Amino acid sequence: MNSIEIRELTKEFGRTRAVDRLTFDVAPGRVTGFLGPNGAGKSTTMRLLLGLDRITSGTATIGGRRFTELPDPLQQVGALLDAQSAHGGRTARDHLRLLAATARVPVRRVEDVLEQAGIAAAAGRRIKTFSLGMRQRLGIAAALLGDPGVLLLDEPTNGLDPEGIVWIRELMRSLAAEGRTVLVSSHLMTETAALADHLVVLGQGRLLADTSMEEFIEARSAPRARLRTTDPIGLRSALAHRGLALVPSEGGRWTVADIRAEELGAMAAREGIPLLELVDERASLEEAYLDLTAEHAPFAATH
Amino acid sequence: MRSALPTAPVLHSEWIKIRSLRGTFVALSAVCVVTAGIQMLMAALLSAEDAAGMGADPLLAAFYGVNFGTIAAFAFGATALASEFHNGALRTSLTAVPNRARFYLSKMAMVAGLAFVAGEFAGLATFIGGQAFMGPGALELGSPGTYRAIFGCGLYLMLMALLAAGLTAVLHSTTVVLSLLIPFVLLVPFVLGSASDGAARFLPDRAGWMVMRMEPHDGLGPWTGTGVLALWALVAVTGGWLAVRRRDA
Repeated sequence: MNSIEIRELTKEFGRTRAVDRLTFDVAPGRVTGFLGPNGAGKSTTMRLLLGLDRITSGTATIGGRRFTELPDPLQQVGALLDAQSAHGGRTARDHLRLLAATARVPVRRVEDVLEQAGIAAAAGRRIKTFSLGMRQRLGIAAALLGDPGVLLLDEPTNGLDPEGIVWIRELMRSLAAEGRTVLVSSHLMTETAALADHLVVLGQGRLLADTSMEEFIEARSAPRARLRTTDPIGLRSALAHRGLALVPSEGGRWTVADIRAEELGAMAAREGIPLLELVDERASLEEAYLDLTAEHAPFAATH
Repeated sequence: MRSALPTAPVLHSEWIKIRSLRGTFVALSAVCVVTAGIQMLMAALLSAEDAAGMGADPLLAAFYGVNFGTIAAFAFGATALASEFHNGALRTSLTAVPNRARFYLSKMAMVAGLAFVAGEFAGLATFIGGQAFMGPGALELGSPGTYRAIFGCGLYLMLMALLAAGLTAVLHSTTVVLSLLIPFVLLVPFVLGSASDGAARFLPDRAGWMVMRMEPHDGLGPWTGTGVLALWALVAVTGGWLAVRRRDA
């Protein structure tokens, strides 16, 4: 009902392919991070889904129907495309009221979302006097207006202060927990890592990955353990027998490549070497992402 | 087809769009205020003999102020549409009303309806207010052609607003549209003068004025003239639709 289905979606602007035979689903109940460098086709995909740009070929549907054919679009899909999509001469309240009117959303709801987005105090001000962060909050208020089951948010944290970033992270998590479909695009890795359960990665308009966050990082992390010990000499020789090396790291810690914490711990116990700290070191989302894009770099460069 | 028709909620939204933008709302009010105001000012300042300078046709002279109200109608039609192309406001509008035909028709219907109402008030106020200063030579409500002219004045201003609105849907900019329309519609017929017959009488302004004349002129009757102006407006509105339908927003 609330899922998004993208099938063989293609968009050409003149002779450039902005989106190239893209196929993926976005499921409800989780936050899906939509990743890729600037110009990878994330925003275009969202615009195609909303019927703002003409599709060259393929389909993009919500619950099996094209967005432009939904009977009550505002109540099914909330979208934040860019913070500038409002006329600067209107007040925030009027901007939301005219949107609410299209779907007979009660005026009371306008005040609610203004409150929820933390801009109730500025509701009577013209949008052109707003900072980027406030415009972003207004855009999110507009997306929430119809209490929709699907949310499409393009770079929602742009211009938000740290408090705002925490707010939107919590908001998206709770919206997903309520069973809604949440698709959030970003080019910021740390932000997405803190937010998303699932990832869809684009590069040059093509699908590079469609997988859970866990698997994505797991698949792209070489096993490596980090530890502290009072007996580095004993440990080094024990490791040397297995062809492993103890490498000094920052803060008096050591790292060992190609072994998991589980194995290393058991080995140290057998050898009677005291360990003060032992963890698996996993790649960050950023490292995993760079690893993935590096893989695709040759064909990206020839494109 | 039904899905393209305006609905009450979408019309309501279009009304909020117009009333919430200062420039557009001022232009709409100006359609009425400027037309009647200038008419009364001229009537009050000019003696009866000088008043003949407003036009040989006494009914036409009674609507002299409409020349200026037309500029307000252009400004209203143009700014109402241009606001959608400001800062990508159109994206937000189309996310709320993704059916472009419904969106466009609703917007045009609201522009037309408001311009018509303002135009009717303008026509009535202009006629009554202007004639109040004319002394014994004044026309009265009910004199030949007066009701037709007052009704026609509202149609004229509505069609002029639609002409500007349609053109703005193609060109996106109020400034560009006004700098095209004001010379083309208001100055060209003036420069050509009454000497030119033939094609000049089919210009939007010339043809549209027929409904506010006591006697038919240039071989065009009052309603034929309005029909010619309506065709101009229809071409502009259709051109605007083709642009809105096709373009990526």
